[in-house]
Amino acid sequence: MSNDVDFQLSLESEGVGEAYPDQPLATTADSQVGNVMQLLRTNRSGAILVCEDSKVVGIFTERDALKLMASPIDYTKPVREFMSPEPVMLAARATVGEAIRKMSEGGYRHLPIVDDAGEPKGVLAVHGIVRYLVDHFPETVYNLPPNPKANPRTREGA
Amino acid sequence: MSAILCPFCEADIIEGVDTCPECGGTLMDLSRRIPASRVEGDLLRDRIERLWPKSPSTVSPTATVGEVLQKMVAEKIGCVMIVDQGKLVGIFSERDALVKINTDAAKHLARPIAQLMTPDPVTLETSDKIAFALHKMNIGGYRHIPILFQGKLVGVISIRDILRYLADRIAAGGRK
Repeated sequence: MSNDVDFQLSLESEGVGEAYPDQPLATTADSQVGNVMQLLRTNRSGAILVCEDSKVVGIFTERDALKLMASPIDYTKPVREFMSPEPVMLAARATVGEAIRKMSEGGYRHLPIVDDAGEPKGVLAVHGIVRYLVDHFPETVYNLPPNPKANPRTREGA
Repeated sequence: MSAILCPFCEADIIEGVDTCPECGGTLMDLSRRIPASRVEGDLLRDRIERLWPKSPSTVSPTATVGEVLQKMVAEKIGCVMIVDQGKLVGIFSERDALVKINTDAAKHLARPIAQLMTPDPVTLETSDKIAFALHKMNIGGYRHIPILFQGKLVGVISIRDILRYLADRIAAGGRK
């Protein structure tokens, strides 16, 4: 089916910029982890990049934050101690297909996007991928019953 | 020319008919909509049960916030379902924790989860199409959706489950 080829082509040719990356939210490694958690909340963001000399050295996600809520700690400690160091990243010229593979294989929900110099350009969240896919599957929108429960699955009386 | 499938019962239908001869579903505004790719066709055809929804992690409304957080960390899960007398009454996710607890853990840990959960979450049935889950997640911004079977909570699907499903199909170039 030619449309499949088209879809494959767009996945392998369209850059990650098409999958609605977020502006990078960043902080320094010596920032207090409590301040970083509040920054995530204020920005309604699931992840923040931890940078040193404009390079990404780690990522701190809401998963990391959850652990610090379950066992409260001294929130004035630096985020360096709680971040995931050396996160899997995407090159700014990576394709959407590459992003989907990396995210699915690693189980990540956020991938930092960096340029050739290693400077953060954005963060690709799983929701951006979902939105991109929905854009490419327009028929799925129209074919959905407005209320699936209202449609009998078997013929009445049959 | 591609076949047209009834979106309700998946029977082959003839373009232009007003109702599905198999299930009687109305097709008035569907006759010209043919899935653009096989991946999309799969999404429209496959039901949520195909994602093998994970068993939900459940707690009672009286469980404390501290217990719930410990459970989420220990089981490496992003959300718990709050069930009262066999009925789903709420959901509590990582995002809820970030927004409602954040650095105030000490203040909240002893409170019942019922006070912090999101009540009456959006649910889907195992027989609903995966496309429907994809759209619910896209529009609502949800990462988890509780899955019911005949009204009873049987599982939960995450945005990752859908991503994995799509990644498998995209790699395979369509239906497997």
